[in-house]
Amino acid sequence: MSRRYLFVIDRAPYGDWSGRETLDMALSAAAFDQSVALLFTGQGVHWLRGDQQPKRIEQKTVSRNLSAATIFGIEALYVTQAELDQLGSAVDPGLALSAVDTARDLENQFTDVVRL
Amino acid sequence: MIAEDAARFTLVITGAPYASQAPQTALHFARAAISGGHTIAQVFLYGDGVHLASNLTSPPSDETDWPAEWRAFLNEHQIPATCCIASALRRGLLDDSEARRYEKPASNVSAPYQVAGLGDWLAATQDSTRTLYFNGGQS
Repeated sequence: MSRRYLFVIDRAPYGDWSGRETLDMALSAAAFDQSVALLFTGQGVHWLRGDQQPKRIEQKTVSRNLSAATIFGIEALYVTQAELDQLGSAVDPGLALSAVDTARDLENQFTDVVRL
Repeated sequence: MIAEDAARFTLVITGAPYASQAPQTALHFARAAISGGHTIAQVFLYGDGVHLASNLTSPPSDETDWPAEWRAFLNEHQIPATCCIASALRRGLLDDSEARRYEKPASNVSAPYQVAGLGDWLAATQDSTRTLYFNGGQS
């Protein structure tokens, strides 16, 4: 059976390391030619904001990692349509996002759902 | 006892001992799985879970030494265990060779743990019927 990996990021960036380590796992699986996608939900949708300025808290921006994600083989960046609507114009226009109706329907399309 | 549908599990632990319940829950699961005739293919420590690999933990004598319990369990059942190198280096969990490479004065990770990369995790997920993640509390 070929595996399909969905990595769920449900916490805001910068407050802890779990999102970065989730992204590392996703990039690693993609580097080994696996089918990989990311889902941003809950507080995790704040990863998708444009104009992030984390320098003042001495962190690196996560936007750059996300815009490079598809270059490194991650197939899609998913977010539910309702959560995308809530973000409105705050969303980073440089990100190619795929909107879905519900997270549950999306998760059912993957063999491995990883939520750290 | 051999289960009719024996499973091969990979366990990923991302919560640290003494900060979360993740290592205990994972150990209880692993013991139950083995006594039920299932197999633990691989244990992978990731994120804060790498603290479980420290061989310097010294809890008070009336508390369980969870890293020691885990080491004994892994040795008894000959289960391969990997401590993620990227997570470990950031958090000061080093084996002898990494301590030499980074010119550090001490090391605190040794067998049964290998210090290696996410490739071990990926290979284990593909070699298992199911991969379970034991996380710490939401921060």
